[in-house]
Amino acid sequence: MARRRRTSSVTEERYKSRSVAEMIAKHGEFAGFQNPTRALYQTIRELVENSLDATDTKKILPWIHISIKEESRNSVNGARPWYIVTVEDNGVGIPVTVMAQAFGKVLFSSKYVIKQTRGMFGLGVKAVTIYAQQTTGSPIEVYSSTAESQYVYMMKIKIDMKNNMPKVLEKGDWAKKAAWRGTRVRVKIEGDWKKAKSKIIEYVKRTAIIAPYAEIIFETPDGTIYYYPRTTRKMPEPPKEAKPHPHGVNVEDLREIIASSKARTLKELLVSEFQSVGEKTALEFLSKFGFDPDMNPKELLKREKEGELVKLVEALSQFKFRAPKSDYLSPLGRDIIIEGLTRMFSPEWVDAVTRPPKSYKGHPFIVEVGMAYGGAIKPVDEPVLLRYANKIPLLYEEREDVSYKVLKSINWKNYNVEFPAPLIVLIHIASTKVPYKGLGKESISETPELESEIRNAVQEVARRLKSYLIKKEREEEAMRKAEALAKYIPEIAWSLAVLSKPPDSWTPPTPEEVNMFKEKLIDIVAEKVRVVGPGGEEVDMKKLVKRVVDSVELE
Amino acid sequence: MSGEHEHFIDKVDLEARRRAAKVIYEKFAPVIKDVLAGRPPKLVIPKRTLANTVFDPERGILVLGEEMLEREFLDLGESRRFMQTLLMAAIIYQSLIENEYPTIRDLYYKGKHTIVYRDLRGRRQEENTWDEQKESDAVIQDVEVFTGLFREDMLILSKEKGKVVGNMRIRSGNDVIDLSKLGHGAYAIESTADLIEFIDVDAEFVLVVEKDAVFQQLHRAGFWRKYRAILVTGSGQPDRATRRFVRRLHDEYNLPVYVITDSDPYGWYIYFVYKVGSINLSYESERLATPKARFLGVQMSDVFGYGSKKPYLSDSERKKFIIKATDRDVKRAKELLKNYPWIYKNPLWKREIEIFLKKKAKLEIEAIASKGIKFFAFKYIPEKIETGDWIQ
Ligand SMILES: Nc1ncnc2c1ncn2[C@@H]1O[C@H](COP(=O)(O)OP(=O)(O)OP(=O)(O)O)[C@@H](O)[C@H]1O
Ligand SMILES: [Mg+2]
Repeated sequence: MARRRRTSSVTEERYKSRSVAEMIAKHGEFAGFQNPTRALYQTIRELVENSLDATDTKKILPWIHISIKEESRNSVNGARPWYIVTVEDNGVGIPVTVMAQAFGKVLFSSKYVIKQTRGMFGLGVKAVTIYAQQTTGSPIEVYSSTAESQYVYMMKIKIDMKNNMPKVLEKGDWAKKAAWRGTRVRVKIEGDWKKAKSKIIEYVKRTAIIAPYAEIIFETPDGTIYYYPRTTRKMPEPPKEAKPHPHGVNVEDLREIIASSKARTLKELLVSEFQSVGEKTALEFLSKFGFDPDMNPKELLKREKEGELVKLVEALSQFKFRAPKSDYLSPLGRDIIIEGLTRMFSPEWVDAVTRPPKSYKGHPFIVEVGMAYGGAIKPVDEPVLLRYANKIPLLYEEREDVSYKVLKSINWKNYNVEFPAPLIVLIHIASTKVPYKGLGKESISETPELESEIRNAVQEVARRLKSYLIKKEREEEAMRKAEALAKYIPEIAWSLAVLSKPPDSWTPPTPEEVNMFKEKLIDIVAEKVRVVGPGGEEVDMKKLVKRVVDSVELE
Repeated sequence: MSGEHEHFIDKVDLEARRRAAKVIYEKFAPVIKDVLAGRPPKLVIPKRTLANTVFDPERGILVLGEEMLEREFLDLGESRRFMQTLLMAAIIYQSLIENEYPTIRDLYYKGKHTIVYRDLRGRRQEENTWDEQKESDAVIQDVEVFTGLFREDMLILSKEKGKVVGNMRIRSGNDVIDLSKLGHGAYAIESTADLIEFIDVDAEFVLVVEKDAVFQQLHRAGFWRKYRAILVTGSGQPDRATRRFVRRLHDEYNLPVYVITDSDPYGWYIYFVYKVGSINLSYESERLATPKARFLGVQMSDVFGYGSKKPYLSDSERKKFIIKATDRDVKRAKELLKNYPWIYKNPLWKREIEIFLKKKAKLEIEAIASKGIKFFAFKYIPEKIETGDWIQ
């Protein structure tokens, strides 16, 4: 069969480079700005999370004021309303030298270090700036001052999209009269409060749940003010900064590390630039994979050594190093979870666990689970899940989330929980690298290590819930029993008093005689029905039985 | 024992009260001792269940078996009944001492209280000591089996149903009564049949008829005088006093007892109550049943004939008098044949019931009587007694 050549008309491709700012502007959905509802929600999130990063991770008890106001304007019929969003904090502030870039240059961040913070991409607030620019044409307005600074600085910033560079439209500074420190960010955007309302209110509430050490004030466009006072001064330990773990670097990371390192030998490089690697381990590793410990690492950056570099990365990921350290993680801790759940839900039982650190692909993580049961919680058909990652509440895409999937697979009957039940489950994942499904940070992917650790944590707390429920059930049963017996005591006491007197000298029983039998019977019941309360405390049954007996009236 | 009206009460009653009160006092003493010593109290009572009811073939009566029931106050399933039993016992005890004559209905009202209390959640709760009389009646039975005293022994009265006439004199309370000198009337058998003293009895046999109307007919026809019988009726299902009275006549004077009832399962049942006792009150049988009572009639074979026996009714009479048995009758008859050894082990009873099941017909005593009271009183009954045409 003859071959036929395929003919095609080739049109000329036109190539163009685009800045990262333009890319975000074009694809708002990557950053969570796909529609006016999500945009308003995302704006609040980005600003509040930056404020919290500027406070609790810096050992400052947070004070955060959030306000959303509708802008009154003579709009074209049917045009969407504009909102002025203001978030103010008492955080560390932004040095004036970086202020413009922090708010006006995409991928500029102070959080590109290995350390657990809410922010990680260097994108969040710039997405807000871009969105404001696109929808209302207005700049983002920042007031800030650091503790050391004598001045309060102000800038109105837009982004030069083409060059991904900040454009400062206006700036000012004022000498500080009082020792003010913090940041106030104001931005005007298009939004849809009506639709976003419930999620935003829920977001602020969930933020408050795990930050009982924060004072949060939230003013809505409806004029409602949500006030979450500080209920504890205890804060989670701020995270420390960490060096990368050998399992967590790729070729590019390693190239960067070598380039900036002062190490003169390969051995020195491993020991000084990585965590979990000592002299002995370094030597053992290098000899195992046939690298020269005394080689100058800069050699590896040469083009002809490209193969060596790749080989080194592969070797690093295979070798069994000590597990990554976790002191640059900042879990909430059991006390704060318990405090937060208690103050928000007034449950009858609450407990939490902070699991020991584990790692996946060289990134350490800690899973924390809290559960609240009963009390003021309304019974519903499945557990209410409160998801958090690095202290950020996750509200959207619940069903996509690994935590939801784990929870769904738990057989609650094994833990004596029968739905509908009043159960809230809080799951927090802390990691230097949370495997989010998207830049909007709304759900976490099913990483096996994470999944099994979440399951362990949920089961651990659920077991404690179970033993509480068993004790409670036992206690209630004992109470019911005590009650069921106590109510008959007056009749029986009277009968015994009547029957206790011989026929020849019989007189009607006196109240004292009846009481004597009552007391005896109360003792007998209290002795038999012993109750240990859910907290392990012995319940004074005599008092309880007596209370029922004394309440009896015969009609 | 006190009371300003006491001197109006006859000595027999007072004695009976004293005896009963003493028994109750002694029976409950261990329970009281337990409570005073801080031990959980309990009552050990013979079980009154069907499973613990046995037929004693030697004595021919139903009696309670050996099984005992521990009614513990601390046992949630029993605590209510425990309370009820004590309450009932106390009320009865007090009534005995205070010279009261309660009926079972009085006891029901006396002990019916509403216990109002607050549960441990502070909610108001209510519970009656007992709700219906059925419940308190059952408690009275518990007190009876626990103390071994019958209600009559405890001076608990009930409606008098039984009647008796005949050549005999009795003492009831302070009075002597001649049961042959009551005109057209009869002596109503008192609730406390054991307190009756038989002075003299001049009779050949006892004839028990199911129905009061038939009793009156036989009485006026002079049946008992002619045949020197003691004539008794329980007016349907006999009360305890009537049964005890018949039993005493049998025991104390060795008189044969003949019973005449309707010819249907219900009539048979009444006969068996006299003879064996009722299945759910077997503890009474020992004193109330007359195992040697004879079922005189009306037998199925009297109606239809059997073998060489000629029926008492002609074909046309039979057509006139017999009634079609209902499904319930049939079912009941089958049960009798199946469940009760004193029936299925007796070939004559088997024959009776088999005829019934075949003919599906029943007959009331009145039918025989309407053939003429003379036929009934002076032919049917004496002939059957004479020829031994009865079932025992
Ligand atoms: N309220 C604030 N107080 C102090 N510094 C702030 C504040 N808001 C922003 N910054 C600084 O601006 C930088 C950029 O913020 P941005 O939200 O764009 O990125 P990020 O928080 O680092 O990461 P992400 O994209 O994950 O939010 C932050 O890294 C921080 O240094
Ligand atoms: Mg941020």
